[in-house]
Formats: sequence, structure tokens, C-alpha cells
Amino acid sequence: MLKIAVLVLLCAVATHAGCGSLQRLKVKSQWSQAFGVGTDREAFGTALWKAIFAQAPESRDLFKRVKGDDVTSPDFQAHSMRVLSALDQCISLLDDEADLNAQLAHLNGQHDDRNIPSNYFNVMGEAIMQVVPAQLGRCFDRDAWAACFEVISQGVKK
Amino acid sequence: MGGLLTPELGELSLTTLTLPIMKVLGAVVLLGLLAYANAGCRCSADDIKQVLQDWESVWGAEFTGRRVSIAQAVFADLFSNVPAAKGLFGRVNADNPDSPEFKAHCIRVVNGLDLGINLLNDPATLESALGHLSDQHAARDGVTAAGFDAISDSFLNILPRVIPGFNGDAWIACFSKIADGISAGLPA
Repeated sequence: MLKIAVLVLLCAVATHAGCGSLQRLKVKSQWSQAFGVGTDREAFGTALWKAIFAQAPESRDLFKRVKGDDVTSPDFQAHSMRVLSALDQCISLLDDEADLNAQLAHLNGQHDDRNIPSNYFNVMGEAIMQVVPAQLGRCFDRDAWAACFEVISQGVKK
Repeated sequence: MGGLLTPELGELSLTTLTLPIMKVLGAVVLLGLLAYANAGCRCSADDIKQVLQDWESVWGAEFTGRRVSIAQAVFADLFSNVPAAKGLFGRVNADNPDSPEFKAHCIRVVNGLDLGINLLNDPATLESALGHLSDQHAARDGVTAAGFDAISDSFLNILPRVIPGFNGDAWIACFSKIADGISAGLPA
């Protein structure tokens, strides 16, 4: 009985470790693999935005300035790469709390006056949970990703 | 007999005369085409491949700490060559290069370069991205095209120290394309 209790407790600790230091290292390496290089990276971005707009079609209106009606247009592709680049910066800083917070504060300032409904951050998180595992093929740590994306999105939207 | 030979000779002499002219004309056209092709071909497909390979070997998100170190080193080199440049980065605490504000700034700048490098194979999207970066720099007083030449030198000083077998020629060909796109709307 005690053994089972200990086991249950250990499992609970393992699944609720959140975005701990080991999770951060894992997300960093999985991201760098999924993010890719060159035109593969653009295709990855296109898949991400398609997943976002499929869940929340009305969110396209936020991206009129960068031609959100056509995700393959050069202006939207450039926008897509800017967003992914910002996410890339945050993920690369996950294991350096002070620098990460400075970067999140900067991104927070950039998003302040755009009036983004906070549920859109969840939409983006869900889209990431779809496209990153598709890119990796295997070994996607969903719990680590969910917890660490939460750290980043909370910092950007607070 | 002579009547039969003359046209043959005439034909022969015509050929021997026109052949060199054709060759010269052909060479002129070829040179012109080459010049045209080179003008549009700074940063060739081979250069891009090389630059991406060199760059990604040190820049991936998985390499803890590398990004900050490389970006800090580039700025340290820039500030030692052009001390006045430091004043442009007061808002991000350049006087204290180890502060989180300055390190986050370093990462943003060099990530902008990463964005450009990874778009080299998609000229239309690259142009849009560089236009956006150009607008962001034009809004900052004191940022000049010469400033980009200086930071370009700093990258050339730092990168060979961290990238084994760094290909400087390919780097210059492609970096200048990106830097020119950003500094297009800036004062000299």
C-alpha cells in the first residue's frame, strides 16, 4: 500500500514538474530541431499559422497589415518569421531567467497596444502542440512544452 | 576551271572573315551576360548553403549560452572600434553589457540577422523582411549606413573565432546583401 502511495506520488511529481530546468533544456533542443533552417522554416511557419487560423478564423483580422488573408504572401511570410524568431529568442533564453524576463518584458511592450484577446495565446499554444510533434515525428514532450509555452505566453501578455 | 574555283574561294574567304567577327561578337554578348548574371547573383546558391551551414552550426536554440556570448562579443568589438556607437544603445543599457536588458537586446539584433540568413533562398520574403527592419532602424536617430559597415567588420572579426572553417567570402557576399537591404533608407 505504501509502495503504491510512493509510486503515485512519484508519478505526480514527474508529471507536474512543470517548466523545470530539465524541461527547459528538452524544449530548447526539440524546438531547435522543429524550427529547422531556410525554406523548411518558412513551411513550418505556414503550418503553424494555418493551425492558428483553423481554430480561430476571426483572428486573421489582427493581421490585415501583413496580408493575413494570404499566408503564402511574402509580407505574411516575413511576419510569420518575425513571430517565430521572437518565440525562438524566448526559447533560447529559457535557461537564463533574468535575460528571458528582460526579453519577455520587451515583447510585452510590443503587444500592449495590439489588443490581442488573451485566448489567442492559447490558440497559438495549441497550434504549437500540433505542428511541433508533426515536425519531430516522435519524442515530443507535450507536458514540458505546455508548461514552458505557458511561461512565455504569460510573460508576453501580462 | 577558274570560273568554278572563284566562287569557292570567295565563299572560303567570306567564312574566314566572318568567323572571327562572329567570335568577337559572341564573346561580347557572353561577357555582357556574365556581368548581368553576376550583378544579380551576389550571394549565390552555393554561398547561401555555406553561410546557412556555418551560421546554424553555432546559432541553434539548443546551444545554451552561445547566442548571448556571440552577440555580446560582436557588440563589444563594435564599441571598441567605434566608441561613439555605444551612445545609440543607451535605452538598452549598453554601459552595462552584462545586464539582462543589454543581453536580451543582443539576442534580438543577432536574431534579426538569423531571420535574414534563413530567408536568403526566398528573395520576395527577404525583401519584405528587410524593408520592415529598415523602417525600424530609420526610426532611430544616429543609425547610419556606415554603422552597418562597422558591425559587418565586427561579425567578420568574431565569427571565425567560433565557427571552424568559417567561409569569409560567402559570408561577406550574403551579409552585405542583408545589410544593404536594411541600411537602404538610412543616412550615409
